[in-house]
Amino acid sequence: MIVADPKPFGQVKGYLENFEKILIVGCGTCVTVCLSGGEAEVQILASGLRIAFGREGRSKTILEGCVQRQCDEEFILPILNRVENEQIDAVVSLACGVGVNFFADRLGKTPIFPGVNTTFYGAGMEPGLWAEMCAGCGDCMTAHTGGICPVARCSKHLLNGPCGGSEKGKCEVDPANIDCVWQLIYDRLQKLGRVDELQNVLPAKDWRTASDGGVRRTVREHLYRLK
Amino acid sequence: MMEKEFTQILAGDMLATCSAACPVHTDTREYVQRLSRGDYEGALDILLEVNPFPSVCGRICHHPCEAECRRKEIDSAVSLRMLKRFVVENTKEYRIARQKKPAEKKEGTVAIIGSGPSGLTAALDLALSGYRVRVYEKDTKLGGMLAHAIPRYRLPVEALAQDIGDILAAGVEVRTGCQVGKDISFDDLRKENDAILIAAGLAESHSLPIPGTDSKGVFLGIPFLWDVANGMRPELGDRSLVVGGGNVAIDMARAAKRLGPSKVYMACLENREEMPAWKWEIEEAEQEGIEIFNSWGPKAILEKNGAVTGIDFKRCTSVFDDQHRFSPKYDESVTKSVEVDSVILAIGQKANLDFLAQTPVAVDRGRLQCDRTSMTTSERGVFVCGEVMTGPGSAIGAIGTGHDAAKVISHFLETGETLKLAERKVTTIGELPSATAALAKRFERVEVNLMDADERITNFSPIEPGYSESEALAESRRCLACATGAYLKSPAHCAGCLTCVRVCPFGVAKVEKTAVMPAQECQTCGLCAAECPAAGIALSRFATNGMRDTLRAILSKSDTAKIAKPLVVSYCCLNETTSRKFLGAQTEEEIRQSGILRVMIPCVARLSTLDLVSPIELGADKVAVIACTENGCFYTGAEELLARRVKRVQKFLDDIGVGQHNVQLFKTDGSAEESWPRIWEQFRSTPAQTVAPGELLAEGASR
Repeated sequence: MIVADPKPFGQVKGYLENFEKILIVGCGTCVTVCLSGGEAEVQILASGLRIAFGREGRSKTILEGCVQRQCDEEFILPILNRVENEQIDAVVSLACGVGVNFFADRLGKTPIFPGVNTTFYGAGMEPGLWAEMCAGCGDCMTAHTGGICPVARCSKHLLNGPCGGSEKGKCEVDPANIDCVWQLIYDRLQKLGRVDELQNVLPAKDWRTASDGGVRRTVREHLYRLK
Repeated sequence: MMEKEFTQILAGDMLATCSAACPVHTDTREYVQRLSRGDYEGALDILLEVNPFPSVCGRICHHPCEAECRRKEIDSAVSLRMLKRFVVENTKEYRIARQKKPAEKKEGTVAIIGSGPSGLTAALDLALSGYRVRVYEKDTKLGGMLAHAIPRYRLPVEALAQDIGDILAAGVEVRTGCQVGKDISFDDLRKENDAILIAAGLAESHSLPIPGTDSKGVFLGIPFLWDVANGMRPELGDRSLVVGGGNVAIDMARAAKRLGPSKVYMACLENREEMPAWKWEIEEAEQEGIEIFNSWGPKAILEKNGAVTGIDFKRCTSVFDDQHRFSPKYDESVTKSVEVDSVILAIGQKANLDFLAQTPVAVDRGRLQCDRTSMTTSERGVFVCGEVMTGPGSAIGAIGTGHDAAKVISHFLETGETLKLAERKVTTIGELPSATAALAKRFERVEVNLMDADERITNFSPIEPGYSESEALAESRRCLACATGAYLKSPAHCAGCLTCVRVCPFGVAKVEKTAVMPAQECQTCGLCAAECPAAGIALSRFATNGMRDTLRAILSKSDTAKIAKPLVVSYCCLNETTSRKFLGAQTEEEIRQSGILRVMIPCVARLSTLDLVSPIELGADKVAVIACTENGCFYTGAEELLARRVKRVQKFLDDIGVGQHNVQLFKTDGSAEESWPRIWEQFRSTPAQTVAPGELLAEGASR
């Protein structure tokens, strides 16, 4: 799941100072699950904006919407139609950056602003807590590390064991909250009886599959460009 | 009538277990919820929908609803009969004002023989349908067994009079002191009416085929009760014994005890567990000093000079055969003799059908021949209901047959056809699963103390005090309002985020592709709805729309300057109120003058973040959230979730420039009526603290 945090209220409000008719759009998938951009957050943000602008004597029209997923055309079409039909001046997306981009490509002259900061691919650790688990590097190497990813979960992205900042299984960056992933990997491989594999040095990672290779695309031939 | 809060469960014959158990399917949950909100009048409306005898039932109903109450899985059943009694006792004026006027008359006349609960119920239904209905009662008082056979300490005259008053107001005609077969012939009745309903009840007692039953001092049960109810004092001597183990026998023994004998005994064939009388009736009788001899069959009543001196018993070894048919077996070698001055026989009742002799209506060995599904007799246009059809039963059961009789008779009058009543298939929401019940907090049932046994046997005064208002409100809130909880608005809303699963205190919410809150298990706390990030969970019996509409109405008026400032929206835990003081609707003027708009909520922990913010948007200055007393919440964990939610809103109000102090969480301290005004005064007098817009977080700042 993609995890995001709500942007500070003042920041969002700042984006909207010069617009009169504003549509806040939530996303019913990842950001709903991580409690930052679902329908409830749309309602709260919209109410807050009405109150804040109202207190300044400015009466703006703040509208609300939410779609199942902002990263597919069929789902966002109704919003695109609304923007046109209702002459919306600006849109705020509470989806991850994907949603913001996807809208921006299709919104014509209407500006769109992000309402959340997209942070990582993570998992819900316990109610109210999410942690990063994957970096989307495009060349998964967890087969060698007991299923635990050093790219995403090592503060330095080290591929061949811990650095000197690993102490009592914790990472020096934030010992209270971050485990040393190499400790986790070691423990895990020990459980699996594969700790010897740590002797094999992993080669330097080919980062072309990650962000360094340019904008990434994925094609599934069996459905791509159906006539 | 006010719209029902939640009708879903009544649709498609899916009933709450309490309603399903009631022979007339009283919408129990709805009246209890109305009561709990202080809407006693609305609760009465619900009671009267299906039961013209709520005052009677509030006193003497055997309350099958309580036997099926799902709360008993947690601690004990809700005291539904007492709540019903509270409703009728606190709506007397309203009840008179709402009495139904006689309906516009249409073709068709019906004569009803007998004015017991079944006959009068049918009479009311038929009169309201527009038929001319005449009830023939041989006695001077209406009510049948209710008027004559139930001792006053259980059912005061006034309670019955209230119910009958309603029925008469609807235009039912009555002929009291008019015995069919004597004062008017059955044939004449048939000639004068399009339909006849025999609702004569079981007004006579069986005697026993043993020696001595014609001695002085032997009484038959029903005539005995009849005399007692009419103020006569049958001569019982110093020791009396009642033969029988049913509820009527208990009534007789307890009535006898109030007439002076120093010793009253009961003797019955059944052992203690088999006794047909209700357990609580037996206990109350014993408290009053009545001694019960179980497993004894009467052998002979002993007499000297024609007067009772005692009674001999033989050991009853079993009462029923393998098929559970009545077939007593005795051991003649084991006997018991009791010296008494009088014997009252309460071994069963029978109908007096003498008025049908020389008529074509078929009676076989004292039983009226009838078809129970169509309520017909052997004669076209002659119908039957009540205990003469069903055999001995309950008042509420008889009322049920009265409704049915009205249905078949209406059909007959309209079409000339017989109506076969379809057997109503009732499905219920089922029992409360024990795993859910185990997670629910226990709240003990509010019991009333009966008058001391020593005192109550001195006269026929009612022995059971009713609930006080605070007791009734407290008890009503024990109702689980089964199946009025949370539900998903639509599958598309749900992201399967598991928040509902994680906040549910009862382990009820699950995610199976989308969230599900099974109605059978949901305890209606509302925490899942409050926390759902998709705003996708709705609650069946709570909405803040009313508050929004009221605020909008007040603030849209031209005289907003007259509103006392600051204007506070106060969400209050409804469960803490002990009177109607804060439960009634506020007028706009009251809100303007007091500066307080109350929103009563059955547990404020179900308020969402938006609920807490939106009053400010609508123009209120402050929001008070008044929760229950410390640890008083019905729902485990709700208090912490609410406190954290309020904190979140406080931070948000800071962020948006309103200031965190304008929303505050309070706890009720003592009673709501004493505590809340203090909270309001304190909260209103604290100056509104506003953060200047410039102090808002700057763009890009970390949170």
